[in-house]
Amino acid sequence: MKQLTALQQQARRSNSFRSASLPLDTSVDGAIKSPATIFWLVLHGLCCLISLVLGFRFSRLVFFLFFSTSSPSATTNLYSALHTRLPSSITTSPPAVNGTAVAVDGGSRVVVGRHGILIRPWPHPDPAEVMKAHHIIERVQREQRIQYGVKSPRTVIAITPTYVRTFQTLHLTGVMHSLMNVPYDVVWIVVEAGGTTNETAALISKSGLKTVHIGFNARMPILWEDRHKMESQMRFHALRYVREKKLDGIVVFADESNMHSMELFDEIQNVEWIGAVPVGILPHSGGSEGVELSAVSREDTDKNENSEMPVQGPACNSSNQLVGWHTFNMLPFMKRRARYVGDRAVVLPRKLEWAGFILNSRLVWKDVEDKPAWVKDLDMVGREGEDIESPMSLLENPSVVEPLGSCGRKIMLWWLRVEARADSKFPARWIIDPPLDVTVPAKHTPWPDAPPELPTPVVKVISIPENTEKRVAKRSRKRSS
Amino acid sequence: MGSLERSKKKVQLWKKAIVHFLLCFVMGFFTGFAPTDKSSIFSNGVAISNHQLGFSPQPVAVINPVKGQNFTTSELEETAISTTTKESLNLKKPNGGELNPRRLVIIVTPTSKMDRLRGVLLRRLANTLKLVAQPLLWIIVEQFSDSAEVSEILRNTGIMYRHVVFKENFTDIHAEMDHQRNLALKHIEHHRLSGIVHFASLSNVYDLSFFQEIRAIEAFGTWPIAKLYANKKKVIIQGPVCDSSEVIGWHLKKIENTTDTTALPIHISSFAFNSSILWDPERWGRTSSAQRTSQNVLKFVKKEVLEEDTKLKGIPQEGCSKVLLWNLHIFKP
Amino acid sequence: MKKWVSAMLFYFAFCVRIEAFKFHKTQQTERISGSAGDVLEDDPVGRLKVFVYELPSKYNKKILQKDPRCLTHMFAAEIYMHRFLLSSPVRTLNPEEADWFYTPVYTTCDLTPNGLPLPFKSPRMMRSAIQLISSNWPYWNRTEGADHFFIVPHDFGACFHYQEEKAIERGILTLLQRATLVQTFGQRNHVCLKDGSITIPPYAPPQKMQTHLIPPSTPRSIFVYFRGLFYDVGNDPEGGYYARGARASVWENFKNNPLFDISTEHPTTYYEDMQRAVFCLCPLGWAPWSPRLVEAVIFGCIPVIIADDIVLPFADAIPWEDIGVFVAEKDVPKLDTILTSIPIEEILRKQRLLANPSMKQAMLFPQPDQSRDAFHQILNGLARKLPHDTSVYLKPGNKILNWTAGPVGDLKPW
Repeated sequence: MKQLTALQQQARRSNSFRSASLPLDTSVDGAIKSPATIFWLVLHGLCCLISLVLGFRFSRLVFFLFFSTSSPSATTNLYSALHTRLPSSITTSPPAVNGTAVAVDGGSRVVVGRHGILIRPWPHPDPAEVMKAHHIIERVQREQRIQYGVKSPRTVIAITPTYVRTFQTLHLTGVMHSLMNVPYDVVWIVVEAGGTTNETAALISKSGLKTVHIGFNARMPILWEDRHKMESQMRFHALRYVREKKLDGIVVFADESNMHSMELFDEIQNVEWIGAVPVGILPHSGGSEGVELSAVSREDTDKNENSEMPVQGPACNSSNQLVGWHTFNMLPFMKRRARYVGDRAVVLPRKLEWAGFILNSRLVWKDVEDKPAWVKDLDMVGREGEDIESPMSLLENPSVVEPLGSCGRKIMLWWLRVEARADSKFPARWIIDPPLDVTVPAKHTPWPDAPPELPTPVVKVISIPENTEKRVAKRSRKRSS
Repeated sequence: MGSLERSKKKVQLWKKAIVHFLLCFVMGFFTGFAPTDKSSIFSNGVAISNHQLGFSPQPVAVINPVKGQNFTTSELEETAISTTTKESLNLKKPNGGELNPRRLVIIVTPTSKMDRLRGVLLRRLANTLKLVAQPLLWIIVEQFSDSAEVSEILRNTGIMYRHVVFKENFTDIHAEMDHQRNLALKHIEHHRLSGIVHFASLSNVYDLSFFQEIRAIEAFGTWPIAKLYANKKKVIIQGPVCDSSEVIGWHLKKIENTTDTTALPIHISSFAFNSSILWDPERWGRTSSAQRTSQNVLKFVKKEVLEEDTKLKGIPQEGCSKVLLWNLHIFKP
Repeated sequence: MKKWVSAMLFYFAFCVRIEAFKFHKTQQTERISGSAGDVLEDDPVGRLKVFVYELPSKYNKKILQKDPRCLTHMFAAEIYMHRFLLSSPVRTLNPEEADWFYTPVYTTCDLTPNGLPLPFKSPRMMRSAIQLISSNWPYWNRTEGADHFFIVPHDFGACFHYQEEKAIERGILTLLQRATLVQTFGQRNHVCLKDGSITIPPYAPPQKMQTHLIPPSTPRSIFVYFRGLFYDVGNDPEGGYYARGARASVWENFKNNPLFDISTEHPTTYYEDMQRAVFCLCPLGWAPWSPRLVEAVIFGCIPVIIADDIVLPFADAIPWEDIGVFVAEKDVPKLDTILTSIPIEEILRKQRLLANPSMKQAMLFPQPDQSRDAFHQILNGLARKLPHDTSVYLKPGNKILNWTAGPVGDLKPW
């Protein structure tokens, strides 16, 4: 109905023929009162309207055909022509006429009115295009590094002490992934207690980095205190390698227990001889007591973004000069400190962790002319099992340490020691052999023979080493079916 | 008036009527051409065009993308399609061969501010994900907060991610995690993202080959996961038991007196699935209604994993015999 | 009847010819590359003098007092430009030596409760202001506005309405036909944009953007970014009018593309996210322009401009073709193909150009003003129109403007 009135209006507005037809109607005025005539009149008007509508419709068709033949090359434009051709004002002003001309060529014409919502029919997203986009992003990021990153970066020499145990893969993988993300040259020196193993070698070879795998001829002790000492010696061992091979670059002590923000590797490029970065300490007891971090309060009252987290590292005055050290306040933990690996208590860091120090590798070289006078020779330190608390032992004067990380305010490195109990066992290289036994059958598994008897409810999932033989037997039976 | 005259008049009347009809037809014909008044487009003009030209009035309801060309007559649709596909083919050709397309991996990571190690673990996981071959989309969910900690960590990773934020408060961390995962799934469903979805908890550590393996999943995939506990002797390996890549059973802790598979403690990180199950369940022989009614998308997915053994692929392919994923338990065992 | 038909046919044929002609012309026109920066560096001081009319505060200050939201709205340029001119060295207190006359009238500061500009009264206010200056000073009648400029930052400029003929009915366009309009609206072949208008960027809060700046080294990890409406269900329930269907098309085609980070939800990290995106979509909405243009330039995200025949801000000074990507509305379904096939060198070049601070500066209206900012670019644009052609000065008694056009209600003084 709305439509009809619209048409009537339209017709009335622009039509002069209409008035001509009126006398015709009035000519039958003699019978105008009779209902039949009125009916005919109405029918007449209705037919008029129908033909109007038909004409309108037909014109669209003609319009379409007309322009499709006139521009056969631009088939796509037809599409837009139909879509965009709800034309607008022609009546009011000349500029409006200009602005609203019909979009016939589909070029750069803009038309007011209703438009189609174009939805493409081909499948998407195109995987090849996705790859191309990722290439673009990668190039953009590389360009950003070139433009805003470190100019002429030095090689990063990472030193990591390790040994084979349950948590080794987990820890070493984490550190490895950090190092793999470093956008500079990396040499990764892995020192393994108890001599090199294939287990470790297989793991670190996945990094694709330049790796140096050195064995250290001693078993890792079980007491934390001894382990710390031994790790220092292992790091020294690696430093000696750096010295021998004259590796040039920046030495970082990437411990297995560390977690890194990638900014760290940019920041360390600023070091001249020896630098120190703050280390966030994440103490935990591994137990169920919920005391861990809340009980820890920091020694200093410096404003820090992670004020609850204890931080170890350089302390500066307002003019950004090194004035001292933030150390981890161990007092609240002394009674609950872990003594051996697997002890259910808080594993404490050393006073200053090695990981917080960064060295210029030339510092440990033998004969370098521009080597500063304040550094001790590597051979003079750490002999005879002497405990080397931190790289500070290399220095005659600790004030030469350069504070990095916005002078100890920006934490880019975290320390978290987690280990299983020392007697924990795990499948070699994490290859499950023999296979696990089935505690729950698969729903649709076609087992033609008698379905395997469900083991009586297993209270605890069996850990691997204990059940080896039993499972072999069971499993082989199932396989044969 | 004589009858002759009368009939004459009748003929005349008919003639005139026909002339009128013709006139109206011609008029209609040209109104079709003439640019109509614009105000009429906004008011009644729409009605005209809609009804007379058979335009569909609902542009939003595009269900089938192939037939989604609204506002067109059928023959036009065809022309449009044929031309556009041709163009797309032309555009594709020159570069198609160079790049090796890979399937999208969608990693979903819920983060709770109750987790004190969130920031640190997020960075560690990011370092891993950054090494995964593209394309990868990381969906991180977080409760709305004034702290920009998570956003800041994320934006420095260079990984393509979506940061989903919600307002609800939770006291139970498990409920929160599930809520977050559901939100991520809703995001995937809303956007109809197509890829392999995996829930990566912050306490997970991955071997990089893991991500290569899960790309091969067609519908569902599962693998053994190793749970490591701080200061404990036990190491729990749980997951599927396979014959090559066929899952023949599960090595799971069974809960007593239940036959409900959804109650099985399958670890949230020990499976992955094709995201199209979320937004195109019919393709997987599921009724969409069943899924729509359940608000808990996550539950639905978990159930699917355990029931769809036939479409379930064990990873790695060599009998699910290698652990590629470790889950670290530091605090409560 | 035949005549009519042939006239129609002729008319259409003529349109086609004109189209073709214009199309080729725009294709051939090439921007003088490299000179853009120089134009942006121009200092307008000394090149023009502006006289600011003293209007009753009901035309400006009172309106602002009623709704302080106008200060932060996209249309705030009209307010800040007024403030800027009052203290600018180009201002002259002697109208006799002025090159340009400025009428400080805040026509767009009329917001609905939810902050939408629906300035139904604007034409009346504008007309009243013109009437006022033409009766109180001799300068308007001298040229009938040819040396006057107005800031009209509404969506549709001095139309104040998205429907052209509504604007034409109000008769305000005829009154302003000789004046220079400074407006955000830019659409070629549209009655609301006449030749010689200066297209300016919309107002975006400079301080707020400043606080959200992140280091340029932050890796860009979003391929395409967009936040905003795809369908305007409230005003366009049927769809297809809003954004000429382009935004809806973006959503329908690319919602499932992981490369397209598109959504209707505005996150708190909106500005930061733009800074880590390679491409930012700037599709038309009801009007062809949007604040995203400004945001993209400020945040170094390559703007993907989807608005056929758009006239961009300071297009004579900013090399939009070099910094942005133009996609025709009908090509939206091919957006992914278009963007991924841009050579990487070109993308990097666009990013380097976008890093140019003078481009960013020209997009902003900072408080207080800074050299090379958008205020100065407006003045530069006005200065480039000088000297006025002698023909603009009317002979005494010569009248062009039709003051009586428009509804009776609009003829009453404000």
